[in-house]
Amino acid sequence: MSTNMVMGATNNSRNKTIAIYLLTGSLIIFSMMVFGVLMLLAQGKMIDVDPAFFYEIMTVHGTGMIGAAALAAAAVMWFFLSKYVKLSKAILITNFITFIIGVLMVLVGIFVFDFAGAWTFLYPLPAISAGGWEMAGATLYLGGMLILGVGFLLLNLDVARAIIKQYGSLGEGLGWSIVFGKVKGYGPPAAVVASTMVSIVNTTALIAGATALVMNLINLYIPTIKIDPLLAKNLTYAFGHIFANSIIYMGVIAVYEILAAYTNRPWKANRPFLIAWNCSTLFTITIYTHHLLMDFALPKWMIIIGQVLSYANGLPVLVITAYGALMIVYRSGIKWDIASSFMFLSMFGWVIGVVPAIIDATIVVNHVMHNTKWVPGHFHMYMGLGATAMLFGFMYYLAKVNKKEKETAIDGISFWVYIMFFIGLCGSFLFSGKVGAPRRWAEHFPEWIPYDRMGAIFGIFIVLAVLIFIIRFWNFCRSIDYKFKEKIGSDRHVA
Amino acid sequence: MYQTAAWYLSIILMALITVIFITVVLKTNKRREYEPIQKKWYRFRTIYFLVLLVVFGTLTYFTLQDLPFERPVYGQEENPVIVDVEAVQFGWNMSQMEFKVGEPIEFDITSSDVNHGFGIYDKDMNLLAQTQAMPDYTNTVYYTFSEPGTYQILCMEYCGLAHHLMVGEIVVTN
Repeated sequence: MSTNMVMGATNNSRNKTIAIYLLTGSLIIFSMMVFGVLMLLAQGKMIDVDPAFFYEIMTVHGTGMIGAAALAAAAVMWFFLSKYVKLSKAILITNFITFIIGVLMVLVGIFVFDFAGAWTFLYPLPAISAGGWEMAGATLYLGGMLILGVGFLLLNLDVARAIIKQYGSLGEGLGWSIVFGKVKGYGPPAAVVASTMVSIVNTTALIAGATALVMNLINLYIPTIKIDPLLAKNLTYAFGHIFANSIIYMGVIAVYEILAAYTNRPWKANRPFLIAWNCSTLFTITIYTHHLLMDFALPKWMIIIGQVLSYANGLPVLVITAYGALMIVYRSGIKWDIASSFMFLSMFGWVIGVVPAIIDATIVVNHVMHNTKWVPGHFHMYMGLGATAMLFGFMYYLAKVNKKEKETAIDGISFWVYIMFFIGLCGSFLFSGKVGAPRRWAEHFPEWIPYDRMGAIFGIFIVLAVLIFIIRFWNFCRSIDYKFKEKIGSDRHVA
Repeated sequence: MYQTAAWYLSIILMALITVIFITVVLKTNKRREYEPIQKKWYRFRTIYFLVLLVVFGTLTYFTLQDLPFERPVYGQEENPVIVDVEAVQFGWNMSQMEFKVGEPIEFDITSSDVNHGFGIYDKDMNLLAQTQAMPDYTNTVYYTFSEPGTYQILCMEYCGLAHHLMVGEIVVTN
């Protein structure tokens, strides 16, 4: 066995790397939340922010939030997947280094060279900014994203490699022999199934994203080399949609593992479970066209399929994953602590986030709600109450199994503040969308300002709650003995 | 109005989901054997899955009957007014800016620089219709105004530092 290959609980320094991933990810998420509140305060005219700076904050908020959540979610996947397959720690560290380099380049591009092209960097905006920013800013941003993407691509390829080595193929990682009825019984562990899906979809996303980034970079320096704008848009949303979605599919591994451990009930990959994950793999890659429902120049079938598959994509979570979470805790005698509560919350957040998402994926509705604040309304629900709930819950779980940090009343209060105010924030976004407020506007019309102000107040409380989560995890990281992994197996929390 | 329907439908469904999750949380004490629970609720899941399929299928069928990119069926000898729209950082060039109530209009929209979004707002700031404005492509949106007044055209796709100032006006008279 190579010295940097990790499986099971044999490598304690691995846990240190995981903790650094989570701490970095959560600190960036916290900073991005602060930027989010600043944007709401500016839209609500509670503070005066120059529009150029607003759009810089907007660019860093979107980019940083997804990047940081993906980093922390990758740590969740890595932590649990390494119980079943041999992963390369060198790749894990490489991804962290490329992430930091990429983040620094993005930050310099935005805050030093004024790049404000949004995370979407929709061609040809990076090159045609109407005097908004210089080439250096666009180059640093696009180049930083490219480096960041290469790191994540390596990580996902390593995940795929390790699964293929252990299970024979990615098909077997998704349990095809069970799905197609060749074998009866259960597929690989849920963590392996989810990781297989993530490695497939993320590799697709990152290649699409890298293509769009490189094409934009070429166009930046050789404007005569043009790109089809519709192709570029497809690549951008294929990248953004899939990569952002993969966060929850990595995070849900923690739900499978932690709720199963807390309830002392198995969460096995039976046939419906495997079929659902196979469907999710296909749908996640293909439904990005729901971001292009208002691009009528697209072939009609692509627009229609954007709606149909978006509806279908709700089924795996509604019928299998969230339903499974409800079943596993029902009459289980589970002990509700912050970690298990966050896991359960994440299922709730994911499911309620599906509702406004599916509604907006309906073409006739999208016609009057696309690019309104309805859109951040539903994905903040999905990200804030779903994906990041998984991440914060996992952080509490690590502290818990280490048995060095005891939960206090402030953890419980912060947890409830986080839930209630996040629901309020999402509600303010959704209502702003209902009344027509466009997203990505630095200055709002008077009709929309009350909801911005409400959102800003909700956001401040969310930031405070997250600060508590991070301080608690920081304390844990300082006291960590990095041997907690061994304690997980025997630690049951059944009341 | 789709916005209102979307809002209330979301509230109702999200409230229902909240009730289900809270109910389950309240029933997590008193541990019982898992196998009978699985047996019972897997059976229910099949029904639940079929119900969702029927609901999603029905919704898909009906909502795909009214697609905004399809040219409406106009009356005999009724031809729409064709309006050429060109988006440019940070304004709108339109071949016509005054219209009549009841007059079918076909907006043919493109962009001379970056991606924009063409969104028509009424005086109460309700978004009535939209499509993307893209370089090298023309997107067509069809609309017939039923009320006189001044309508605003807002940019719905982030296009640069003055994106929020990209507002045009059209006037509709009787």
